[in-house]
Amino acid sequence: FFYLVRVGHPINYYLQFVTRFYIHFTAEQVVYMAIVGSFPFNSFLSGVLSCVGTAVLAVCLRIQVNKENKEFKDLPPERAFADFVLCNMVLHLVIMNFLG
Amino acid sequence: MCLEFGGALDVRAVLEFVDSGRDLVIAADGSASDLIRDIATECGVDFDEDSEAVVIDHTSYAVLDGEGDHSLIASDEFIQSDVILGSKKIEAPVLFKGIGHTLNAANSLVLKVLSASPSAYSTNPETELSSPPSLTGAAISLVSVVQARNNARILISGSLDLFSNRFFRWGVQKAGSLEKDSWKILVSDYRHAKSGNEQFVTELSKWVFHEKGHLKAVNVRHHKVGEVTEPAMYRIKDDLEYSVEIYEWTGNSWEPYVSNDVQVQFYMMSPYVLKNLSTDQKGMYSTSFKVPDVYGVFQFKVEYHRLGYTSLSLSKQIPVRPFRHNEYDRFITTAFPYYGASFSTMAGFFIFTFVYLYSK
Repeated sequence: FFYLVRVGHPINYYLQFVTRFYIHFTAEQVVYMAIVGSFPFNSFLSGVLSCVGTAVLAVCLRIQVNKENKEFKDLPPERAFADFVLCNMVLHLVIMNFLG
Repeated sequence: MCLEFGGALDVRAVLEFVDSGRDLVIAADGSASDLIRDIATECGVDFDEDSEAVVIDHTSYAVLDGEGDHSLIASDEFIQSDVILGSKKIEAPVLFKGIGHTLNAANSLVLKVLSASPSAYSTNPETELSSPPSLTGAAISLVSVVQARNNARILISGSLDLFSNRFFRWGVQKAGSLEKDSWKILVSDYRHAKSGNEQFVTELSKWVFHEKGHLKAVNVRHHKVGEVTEPAMYRIKDDLEYSVEIYEWTGNSWEPYVSNDVQVQFYMMSPYVLKNLSTDQKGMYSTSFKVPDVYGVFQFKVEYHRLGYTSLSLSKQIPVRPFRHNEYDRFITTAFPYYGASFSTMAGFFIFTFVYLYSK
């Protein structure tokens, strides 16, 4: 079960789970659309983008929180987490509107 | 041969008369001029080219024939139509003496009202036959009618005597009917006291002059079920009702026309909906159906062409629009996986924040 990859810090474990699960979910939705047809295309887009968006935001959080990463050395992890929460709020607002 | 009737009346004037929607009766016999033959040809009927030819029938002639050359024939091959010939069956055969004509088989506007029996042929009785005659059998039409596309009606008869008082009064005995029906006991079967000419001609002239079989369609209406006004545009999957009133002229008044085979089409390049209209026996025809799932500009078309009746071609245009943004179902069934995915990402995010904040 390739979602469960143990990479040291439990946060990474969770984040990897989230990323991989949601990318899998996106692929499933695309396959479903190919079968059924793209009738409510806006719903399809919002479903796919919600999965992709949360996966991307999880990856960003993981990058910014990782202590071995030299680019974000001065960034406090709380700030990274606050960014993560804010971006997710915006993403879900847009998703809910576009779901139709 | 005369080329005009006198004054300004010629082939073109007669044809313009018909084109303007008025009716015409043409009766010709052996002495018909080329002018009359031309008019008949323009109407779709071809008289025999030989101007001396008459129709002769050696098995269906009338026994009262004075000349003995069997050119006075008695025919009962009528067209099967209550509209043209009346609902009362014509019992006696019709006496006919004159020339025959043929109709072009490809012409759908011409009808044979009285045709000759299969043993008839058209030839000059004075001369000997040197080759088989060109017009034979049931292809010879003795009386035919044409209903033009503008509903003008033309009667073409190959005999002037058909309309004469003499033929009206004479009784008819068909030769050969004795042998044919000799196993029958009834005498009245083969000796008729009065020919069928009068009834035939009366009913036919009523039809030609539009006293029978003339329809009009009025009051075409359509509206959404439950409303009364006609909308300017329909939406797909609407329920709508269509109604039309059809009347028939009886010679002195408009009576409701009753039939169960009038159909309406909802047409755009091809009929998407084809439905029979149901009648309330008083001339009102109506039906209701659902607008198909296609948008565009449609027409309500009623095309009614029946033997002996005027043709009805009604059409009314109406556009059909797709759903507006807020007219779709609130929750679309096929989109549930997408709803599920979006909400699950939100739930995942929510749970994840708890996990992130409260795990060591």
